[in-house]
Amino acid sequence: MEIHAYEKLWLALALVLIVGFIGTITYGAAGAGIDMIDDKGGTVDPTTLDDHPKFGDPGIEKTGENQYDVYVVTRQFVFEPGTTQPIRVPEGSTVTFHVTAADVIHGFEVVGTNANTMAIPGQVAEFTVEFDEPGEYGLLCNEYCGSGHHVMEGKLVVMEQSEFDSWYEQQQQEEEN
Amino acid sequence: MAVDSTAEGSAASPALRADGSGGVPADAATQNSSSEPPVDSIVGTADDGIVRQIDHDDFDPVGTLVLVLIYMVILLSMWVFMYFIEFLGRGLTVVG
Repeated sequence: MEIHAYEKLWLALALVLIVGFIGTITYGAAGAGIDMIDDKGGTVDPTTLDDHPKFGDPGIEKTGENQYDVYVVTRQFVFEPGTTQPIRVPEGSTVTFHVTAADVIHGFEVVGTNANTMAIPGQVAEFTVEFDEPGEYGLLCNEYCGSGHHVMEGKLVVMEQSEFDSWYEQQQQEEEN
Repeated sequence: MAVDSTAEGSAASPALRADGSGGVPADAATQNSSSEPPVDSIVGTADDGIVRQIDHDDFDPVGTLVLVLIYMVILLSMWVFMYFIEFLGRGLTVVG
């Protein structure tokens, strides 16, 4: 079959385009280190979350140098913590979130960022995020979860290290007492 | 022809409606037998007076090529914007 030179050209360009698309995705995963949220967080019984060693008293805990775990329970129509108390994390830290739902499917989105997951009853969504600068982020539920879905929101505060340390110590003392 | 047809049509119309055969085939048959139709009037034929004969690769659809290239440039720039600026540039990103 005889193929015109121009046709060969744009067929080749289309192939290069496809290879380029796949290449950027590969770069995102290998170079920029973008990860997907999967089922590595495991499962949990949503009916007995209050008795769970972590989700029973959700919040932040230090796991290493500049490394923290944050446990979040989502329920109609609050993030615990997040809504009544903001989630507080220090600047320059690596934070692993563990998010689950107590009743129905919710969403956990740090507004305007790629930190975004579904919160499914019985399933723990686990993902790690790096926080650089101090600042404030909004949290919102992006899965319709009932009549109060539109008011389900929260706040995430990235604090300066010294400020965070004193707050964290105070929290620890309150828990001990 | 037009005058004949009109006259014949108006006169024959009650009969045509009755038997449903119509007068056109008879008319066409008359035409065919009387003279050959001009070649130009047959569907699928055209004036084959070739003005210029070119080879397969001599025809260059430059306009199509330009359109395809413009389309690809748009596609590429939209991809770069969407992936590198909108997605990777959004601050917090899931890294583990």
